[in-house]
Amino acid sequence: MAGLGREVAVWFVTSVSTRLGRRRASFPPPVVFALVLVPFVIEAIGVFWPAIQGVMLSFLNWNGIAPAKVVGLGNYASLFADPIFITALKNTAIWIVLFGGLSFVGGLGVALLFQSDRRGVGIYRTALFLPIVFSLVVTALIWDTFFQPTGILNGLLNSLGLHSWTREWLADPATALYAIIVAALWREIGYVMVLFIAGLKALDPAVTEAAKMDGCTRWQRFRYITFPQLRSVNLVILSVLVIDSLRSFDIVWAMTAGGPFNSTQLLSTYMYSEAFQGRQLGYASAIAVIIFVLALGVIITYLVRALSEDKES
Amino acid sequence: MTRRSRRLLAATGLALAATVALAGCVSTGGTASTTAVTKDASGPLVLQSRFTGAEKAGLEAVIKAFDKKGEGKVQLNSLPTTTFDTQLPSYLTSKNPPDVYTWYAGQATRDFADQGLLLDLSDVWKKSLGNYSSALKTLSSTSKGEQVFVPSDYYWWGVYYSKSEFAKLGITPPKTWDDFLADSAKIKSQGVTPITMGLSDNSWLAAAWFDYLDLRINGAKYHLDLLAGKHSFDSAPVKKVFAAFKQVLPFLSPSVLGTSYNQSMSDLSTGKAGMYLAGAFLETAVPKATRSDLGFFQFPVIDPAVPVSEEAPTDGFMVSAKTTRPALAKRFLEFAAGAKGQSLLLNGEDGISLAVNPSATQTMDALSTQGKQMLQSASQVTQFFNRDAGDAQQTPADTALTQFIAQPNNLDAILTAWQASAVKLRSGS
Repeated sequence: MAGLGREVAVWFVTSVSTRLGRRRASFPPPVVFALVLVPFVIEAIGVFWPAIQGVMLSFLNWNGIAPAKVVGLGNYASLFADPIFITALKNTAIWIVLFGGLSFVGGLGVALLFQSDRRGVGIYRTALFLPIVFSLVVTALIWDTFFQPTGILNGLLNSLGLHSWTREWLADPATALYAIIVAALWREIGYVMVLFIAGLKALDPAVTEAAKMDGCTRWQRFRYITFPQLRSVNLVILSVLVIDSLRSFDIVWAMTAGGPFNSTQLLSTYMYSEAFQGRQLGYASAIAVIIFVLALGVIITYLVRALSEDKES
Repeated sequence: MTRRSRRLLAATGLALAATVALAGCVSTGGTASTTAVTKDASGPLVLQSRFTGAEKAGLEAVIKAFDKKGEGKVQLNSLPTTTFDTQLPSYLTSKNPPDVYTWYAGQATRDFADQGLLLDLSDVWKKSLGNYSSALKTLSSTSKGEQVFVPSDYYWWGVYYSKSEFAKLGITPPKTWDDFLADSAKIKSQGVTPITMGLSDNSWLAAAWFDYLDLRINGAKYHLDLLAGKHSFDSAPVKKVFAAFKQVLPFLSPSVLGTSYNQSMSDLSTGKAGMYLAGAFLETAVPKATRSDLGFFQFPVIDPAVPVSEEAPTDGFMVSAKTTRPALAKRFLEFAAGAKGQSLLLNGEDGISLAVNPSATQTMDALSTQGKQMLQSASQVTQFFNRDAGDAQQTPADTALTQFIAQPNNLDAILTAWQASAVKLRSGS
């Protein structure tokens, strides 16, 4: 290993010095190629290859058993004429805004509440963080029981005399998606809270203290002192939330499987149901490509913004 | 940038381009390899099964008896039905698939046979299944007349009820549609939900209503043609089916879409709900001690001019065309379909299905005797929606039927969407 390291180091130094203007350039030793190629090949086989195949599949009409037919952009064209796809797209947008947004606001709120080390705060923090230890499928089971027609929520409403408020929460297209979002939030807020508490602990208390001395109100201290300092944490949390939103699948599948009559389909659940229930692998791949483009779009937009802000500062 | 690093960049680009070019060959051929296997590979025969409940015990008894014969070993892999169903195409198209599979007779099997994925089992039929009915043979055959399926058992569907609850409510099992509706109204007036279903986790159960109403109103021929794509789901005869279904809606449990299968079964056993259109599998959800209180009646007749057909889903086995143990697979199927294998299978299955082999000895309870008689007197039998239409067609049917239950006034839009989905799925296969 030592020899290998030296060889690489030597090449690196020489190539750097080449850049610095030396005349003689050295060709990188084979070890360098090996170091680059091995991970590249693994990545190519495990990630790029299937991803590219997925894109290729999206131009085909294939049920997994019969020979495939090439349909060009046909799958994409029919996607936008497919009312279920439009519903899934809309639901995914609602999911990102409500699930992502409320996790962010809620997580930040409870983090601010519970950041101090007063006695007993640990209990609240633990209680909020506890749901994260359950897998999403277990979370779905718990909330499924809660939302049953004869379940706890309706029982509670009945006992309060609010009979007209009772619903079949998961079977009513007007409430099903929001009921699932509540269940998903229950688990996500604790996670976001922990990330924010970590960020808040890293802040210098002297700055806030100084602002307090200067007579800033609580809101001003948060708005102009604390929040701007959390920018790097925000970046992490926003990326986590966008990715978590777009990959949300298990909790929806376990609670409603996209039903009742497709009213809770997300892009991810619709992709699964088209691929493995409808056996439309080409069509499902087209949905997968759209999810990929959306995720990439959101993340690139955010990175570009974040980088340009960095430059400004 | 130096010339060297430019060369490196070019090399990387070339490598990338090569990857893209190679990836172009997505393996979507689909047809099975036709390597002739002369001799069985060593090792046990792998039997992939979708049964994890009562049916599993029957299958285990058959395997145990076969293993004892010393002609070869069978290894049983049992998976939950939902996993099995989604994985099956991947199994059959993989390089080294499991050998034998439990599956549904009819179109669901033909879909695979048409792609050359199934082993021709005609010699098993010729050699050992001579006493099977010709209807079963037709059901197991491809369009080319080869048999690719060995049936193991079949079961019946009926409207289940609790005898003691019916006595309390003053109801006798109805025979005609008008009686059925009148009885439902009578049950409802006594504060009991007339009909329940567990649609929140088993939405496919609603398709039983569609199948039976279509069989009773338009007859078996129309029904099978419709499911095969020869008629449209938004045509007038289908609207007649939904008009009849609409008469049932007031009698369904108001929370039927949000009720789980377990909840619906508990409602039936505790007398909160009166009737349940279901297959014989429902019986396993009732404790053995109280099962004698369970009864069922034949789905009521709507139009006396339409011959009475019944649903009789047939289960059985198929074999991958790529199996490396075809001789062992055939020996096992001959045993499983023979009188002894059939007796072991059915007696292990808790009395919820019927033997396909006429010489099998099966202990029958009152319900299975009634079920057998009902099917024998039927003018024609069908399988079930997903088995007759092809498994992929089930999802759009579930969507249409559950949406109709929630929004009955939206019928035209629901049927148009159903037809569009059905056509889309057919064009993809």
